[in-house]
Amino acid sequence: MLQVGVQTRNAVQDRDPAAGFRMLKNAGFSCADFSLNGYLTNTSLYRMQPNDFFDRPEEELYRFFTPHKEGAAAAGIRIHQMHMPYPNYVPGGGRELNEYLWKIVAPKSMKICAFFDCPYIVVHGLKLARQLGSEEAEWEQTERFLHFLAPMAKELGITVCVENLYSSTGGHIIEGPCCNAGKAAERIDRLNDQYGAEVLGFCFDTGHANLTGLDFEDFIRTLDFRLKVLHIHDNDGMGDLHQIPFTFSKTRENRSSTDWDGFLRGLCAVGYDGVFSFETAPVLTAFPDEMKEEVLAFIAKTGMYFAGRTERTLDA
Amino acid sequence: MDIVCSPAGIVNPGCPGQGVMDIANAGFDCVSLEAGMCCSGFELEQAGHMSKEGRDRALILEDPSMLREYFRKMIDACRTRHLQIPIVRTPDLLRDTGRTDLENLLIRIGEACIGLCGEIGCGFIVIPPLFAGISSADIWKVNRAYYRYLAAAARRNNVMILLENQCRDLNGHLVRGVCSNSTAAAEWVDALNREAQEERFGFCMDVGVCSLCGQDMHEFAVTMGRRMKAAALRDCDGHHEDSLLPFTCAHHGQPQTDWLSLIRGLREIGFDGKLILRMADTAASFSPLLRPALLMFARATAEYIRWQVEIENLLKRYPFIVLFGAGNMCRNYMKCYGEKYPPLFTCDNNQAMWGTQFCGLEVKPPEALKTIPRDCGVFVCNIYYREIERQLQDMGIRNIEFFNDEYMPSFYFDRLKGV
Repeated sequence: MLQVGVQTRNAVQDRDPAAGFRMLKNAGFSCADFSLNGYLTNTSLYRMQPNDFFDRPEEELYRFFTPHKEGAAAAGIRIHQMHMPYPNYVPGGGRELNEYLWKIVAPKSMKICAFFDCPYIVVHGLKLARQLGSEEAEWEQTERFLHFLAPMAKELGITVCVENLYSSTGGHIIEGPCCNAGKAAERIDRLNDQYGAEVLGFCFDTGHANLTGLDFEDFIRTLDFRLKVLHIHDNDGMGDLHQIPFTFSKTRENRSSTDWDGFLRGLCAVGYDGVFSFETAPVLTAFPDEMKEEVLAFIAKTGMYFAGRTERTLDA
Repeated sequence: MDIVCSPAGIVNPGCPGQGVMDIANAGFDCVSLEAGMCCSGFELEQAGHMSKEGRDRALILEDPSMLREYFRKMIDACRTRHLQIPIVRTPDLLRDTGRTDLENLLIRIGEACIGLCGEIGCGFIVIPPLFAGISSADIWKVNRAYYRYLAAAARRNNVMILLENQCRDLNGHLVRGVCSNSTAAAEWVDALNREAQEERFGFCMDVGVCSLCGQDMHEFAVTMGRRMKAAALRDCDGHHEDSLLPFTCAHHGQPQTDWLSLIRGLREIGFDGKLILRMADTAASFSPLLRPALLMFARATAEYIRWQVEIENLLKRYPFIVLFGAGNMCRNYMKCYGEKYPPLFTCDNNQAMWGTQFCGLEVKPPEALKTIPRDCGVFVCNIYYREIERQLQDMGIRNIEFFNDEYMPSFYFDRLKGV
């Protein structure tokens, strides 16, 4: 049976992680996307103000996350995927910060991922096309990073997943790293062949795909078996809002302006049997706190709808 | 690379004199001919359902052979003004068209447009792919038959058919449509040419569509490569399909179209096709009283883009090069072109820099320019172009050129401060 998950951000709190995981379970989720990126945020990194969370020795980090791991297990929630802090390279960030992100934060993230017995960790490709002049040159740098992670991934039994990202000009969102499915597929195969293991996979982000006008079905069909995890969320096609699917429409007919049918057709076509995982943390701050459980339940129900439609097609 | 002005929003085909005059007076040499000016998407939507009352002649969609007659005055006006017509464009269906039954009509309009090309000696025609009511499984099969059929007429009239990238309307959200995947589009063009056994097909890159779909235009252009015979320049906010003058859509001082990526791509493939300026919405929103000035500015804008794309041609022109300016622009020149077009030295008004080295160049005082070879180009690498140009002119310096680093093939990760 296909499973449904959601990111832990804004749902699971460090002061009582078990309660958060119980809430997710009660809402109908069976999996979670652990928001490790919440412990070293992108906003702090772009401000060049990293905190010292990842300075802690590994054992201390494991101790810190033990209540989370135990809380999830007690609630019956499986940590299916995790988001590594990002970016892993800050242009103009200086050698010290960037070495810290690569050599300290990334390896410790991998170890934490393994600590949770989590099979997938999502990373961001480096956003350097403007400086380096092309997507190819940008990918070369991302690939350097992936080669750094790959031996660790193989040893720990983790698949590192790159996701389709965006960039922007004048507030208009345009495609960023990993928006070419054909190239992504070729690169994933090449790296996996090289390491003799599934060290690299793909995370399809529906919100980012909607912002960059990607053809959902075609993209997923091209990725095929390389698609390992999902970031499901919706937006108005203009901003990265991370809202609940089917929220946005643009015409008087009030039909969804995001291609959810294409999404499901693509998943069915490739026989996707992974988790329907939502990246909808902002929804939980948008709604009143008192409604959090109902909102989570609705998100879970949306996931079950997706899973149900996919399963019915796969069964047929 | 030829700059072509689209007359949409500027010329009234029924009364073309003033619009054509404005275009010619602005210094354009070429215009396109847009069949959509006589047969809009809204009209196509009504095909077969329009009343003939109160009309003295048939519409194009009723009789495509009338096309020549509709454009006769405009073609004559262009001839009078010595404006060439190197490219024609067939009409577009609305993105959210409900008409899935117009394939035959579009074929007849396409044939009429191709015939017109033959009559006026126009070498290119943009014919967008069919999409209405066609499933993704059938899209290539249907378009293959469509273009193969039109190829015969194109051959007879010595015209090259250009496919064009489309967006599709997903309940009001414009997303990637037919031929917006550049790899697939390139395969289509190649397959059609193989079947035609000649280069009968090429591609026109619609920059506005790329922007609406958030596409990496560098990648798009590089993938299309030599197949790209035309690029339609038009600006928009990335959400609404408009045809605005390039650089006019901006937010917080940044362009909303990724011109950097486009220029890099066109430069990398050595683009030498038709650069079509489509600015119907900008032109129509300006008063006819302001349009002559607007068109002058539009031409300067298109020429600027061409200049950026062909920036190396300018560097190639001189056997010797000297730079003026020892700052970030000089640094960027040296990063991207220093090896291929090494300057003899650079100079700067900052006395403190004289005699020092900057990015491997000796920094000399401006007076040193008086001793350079006669065929040496002096490239101003400083944004105070006109001020420095005046200074150099007053010194009697020749071959003054401007360099610009806004659209470099690559950039440093930092900017030098205090230079």
